[in-house]
Amino acid sequence: MSDLDDFKATYFDECSELLLELEEQFAAIEEGDHSSNRLNAVFRAIHSIKGGGGAFGFSGLVGFAHAYETLLDHVRDGRVELSEPVVALCIRANDIVADFVAAAKDGAELEAGYGAEEKLQFDTLTSGDPDMVGEPMEEFDIDFVPVMVTIAGAEDDAMAEAPLSLAILDDAFEAPPLAPEAGHWTIRFTPHSELYARANDPLLLLRELGTLGDIKVRAVLDEIPALADFEPFGVYCSWEIALRSDTATEATIAEVFEFVEGNCDLTITRGEAPVAEAALDAEIEAMPSFAQLMADEAQPEPLAVAEDASSAQLISFEALAESMKPALKAAPPVLPPPLKQAAPAEEFDGENDRRSGVEDRRNGVQSIRVDLDKIDRVVNMVGELVITQSMLTQQMDETLRARYQELVRGLEVLAQTTRGLQDSVMSIRAQPVKTVFSRMPRLVRELASKTGKKIRLETIGENTEIDKTIIEQLSDPLTHMIRNSADHGIESPEKRLAAGKSESGAIRLSAEQAGGNILIAVEDDGGGINRERVLQVARDRGVVGPEQALSDEQIDQLIFAPGFSTASEISDISGRGVGMDVVLSNIKKIGGSVHVKSWTGRGTRMTLRLPLTLAVLDVMLVKVAGSPYVIPLSSIVETIQCARANFSRMPTGAQVLQVRGEYVQVVDLASRFEMTTEVERDNRFVVLCEAEGGVKVAVIVDDIIGQQQVVIKSLEENFQSIEGIAGGTILGDGNVALIVDVQGLKSTTTAHKSAA
Amino acid sequence: MEALAFKDDMSSGASVAGANSMQLIAFSIGEQTYGVEITTVREIRAWNGATPLPNTREFVRGVINLRGTIVPIFDLRARFGEGVTSPTKNHVVVVMSVGEKWVGILVDAVSDILTVAKTDIHNVPEGNSIDTELLNGIVTHESRMVGLIDLHAVVSGAKMDS
Repeated sequence: MSDLDDFKATYFDECSELLLELEEQFAAIEEGDHSSNRLNAVFRAIHSIKGGGGAFGFSGLVGFAHAYETLLDHVRDGRVELSEPVVALCIRANDIVADFVAAAKDGAELEAGYGAEEKLQFDTLTSGDPDMVGEPMEEFDIDFVPVMVTIAGAEDDAMAEAPLSLAILDDAFEAPPLAPEAGHWTIRFTPHSELYARANDPLLLLRELGTLGDIKVRAVLDEIPALADFEPFGVYCSWEIALRSDTATEATIAEVFEFVEGNCDLTITRGEAPVAEAALDAEIEAMPSFAQLMADEAQPEPLAVAEDASSAQLISFEALAESMKPALKAAPPVLPPPLKQAAPAEEFDGENDRRSGVEDRRNGVQSIRVDLDKIDRVVNMVGELVITQSMLTQQMDETLRARYQELVRGLEVLAQTTRGLQDSVMSIRAQPVKTVFSRMPRLVRELASKTGKKIRLETIGENTEIDKTIIEQLSDPLTHMIRNSADHGIESPEKRLAAGKSESGAIRLSAEQAGGNILIAVEDDGGGINRERVLQVARDRGVVGPEQALSDEQIDQLIFAPGFSTASEISDISGRGVGMDVVLSNIKKIGGSVHVKSWTGRGTRMTLRLPLTLAVLDVMLVKVAGSPYVIPLSSIVETIQCARANFSRMPTGAQVLQVRGEYVQVVDLASRFEMTTEVERDNRFVVLCEAEGGVKVAVIVDDIIGQQQVVIKSLEENFQSIEGIAGGTILGDGNVALIVDVQGLKSTTTAHKSAA
Repeated sequence: MEALAFKDDMSSGASVAGANSMQLIAFSIGEQTYGVEITTVREIRAWNGATPLPNTREFVRGVINLRGTIVPIFDLRARFGEGVTSPTKNHVVVVMSVGEKWVGILVDAVSDILTVAKTDIHNVPEGNSIDTELLNGIVTHESRMVGLIDLHAVVSGAKMDS
């Protein structure tokens, strides 16, 4: 059972990858790139999802995917034109497939008839296209459609019973429509030497095959070399079997060879082979004994006649195949010759696709799946290594440097190698933001249809890489931000036209690396933040005092306040007041910041500033009351000696720092943390920090020690969270330093102020 | 003291000395003797300073680095309301597991390993609220009274009530 669960987990993993791939391919197709590579990729993805789904018995998924696949097949060979409505239908179908997969994953039931409408559209598109040129329509009307349906049903059953024979069944599924009562099979069986090495006897297999029905066996001896080249353990003989049976199916035939799977080449072809049979009969009659043959065959006799005969019997197939898949004609090099290992049946199905898939794998990047925990362990250890290395470097004073030059050189190499190691480990964890970005087109489509607005999504820089943990945390904030843009930002088409804008609004999602940060921006060309409205609501709710005057930037920032919503009507998209504060808290959690900028009538831009990695933090090491503290470098604006700082007092008595014409609230860490310090006021330092949304805080510390990198350790692991402290870290000397939570300092001070 | 080499895989709560008795690590704070079940103890180390934690009660002495993880240290004397310990190198930190978490308890000295019968464990008499709050029971061992520490109670309420 757990094995099956493992398979399932892998299947769902793959599905999510395939769905992403679909999303990506269709993004390009929507742009007008209708190249066959893209269509093939789409076809492959759907085919894989369907195949796996069948193995686990997700019949709803398989049914839908099958109908979709049929449409794609028609599109691929040009029988259905890839017009705009068809692309739209396909994109909708992708979403439906995603829903089916999600439902299957959660064991949930989708409402009955989900996707039926689209399925009907597929059927309409694939069955009755009156514009088909040079195509014998009747044939398809009569044969094609109904047969496909029956086979799909049969496939479901078979798959549910025997998931392992999936590959073979797939072929069966794709096989050309033939009358089911045709009980003729041609089996080509070519054992490898391993088969004999494992003590299997072909004779027993052939006898077993004989129990299925009437068989005629012909040994294919054209591989037998001249006696001089004959290797004692070489395998030169293969067999071609004509089976006539009313009951045999591809599965039952394959079952006979189950134990030698992988040790032989086996092709099972369904089809009438009268000519071949006749040829076989004749040959069997005329066949000399094997020993005699061995002796006689100095030169292998080419089996041209037999091959011709077999090809001839296959003409009916091929004609059909040609008519089904003109696309195949365009790619003759990948077509295997009719009787060389690959059976004709395989040519009909996605063999082309599979083959190119294999080649992709061969030429492309190889990858392995690794448990994330394992990588995290490595990341942690590398983090420790970096810190130990920097500690060692710090220990080197001038006398040591002069005396031990080799040691110094060694340390330099160590520093370089450690850096390199750290970068490589980080890059293992890094993933392109594409993985989250690609979920957004669907969201925008849904939002557009719910709000009745016209919205276009542009994505830029989706290959920007960022730590996987951060990526996982990005999905929710981005969803909220895009919802916000779609619901509040973009105006209705009428309003847009009245404002002289184009009817459809645009949301641009972009990612770029800027130094040690990743910037992710959600931008819309809507109406911008209605500041009057926001301020009014904020005053009504007491978030802002009635007398308090706010700058435009401060007003914009209000949308991140918990429970804040300006929506007069709560839609099911947004307006409940949860959302933007979730964005803020989620982003804060991963050490990032959110900034919003709005232009009235022209749009809004929200920018997330995120760290590249969570594993190592660049910090400034400071001392407060004899204890070490670290402040994240990313939040530090500047440091000032207290003696030179321009402090002044507010009428309320609260101390503020004047810096470049700005008044900044002051937090004395020692008194804030209720510790006493002996250091004189003038010898202390001001660390000017920037909290979320550009709000500055002046933090007073006793001393500044220097900059370094630290690994963040959790206090909660063995203790609990503490106000004003974001965590702990271990310094080079083994002592623990606490990480100052600048945002927490700011918020608690404001809390104190409002309480006072 | 050789018995102090504990194995990590001892599941806490499993008695070493058999079903009807248990082994305690006894440690002292001034004249008082306290004990915890031996299986909860992970490590005993000398006091080597701790980084103080702001916004915590006075009995939280701070945090130390225990092979890469941060472990909080509780001053047991202060926890019993008898004033903050002024620790020296001779003071001892007993690292124990409380549920999933590891905590250190600062004590004056570790005195003994005691094997006591479970029937010898008595309830804490009503009266002194701190004792009833922090002790699980009382054992008499060779005419000494040993208070059994309730670790969950000791580590709770560490945050300042602001």
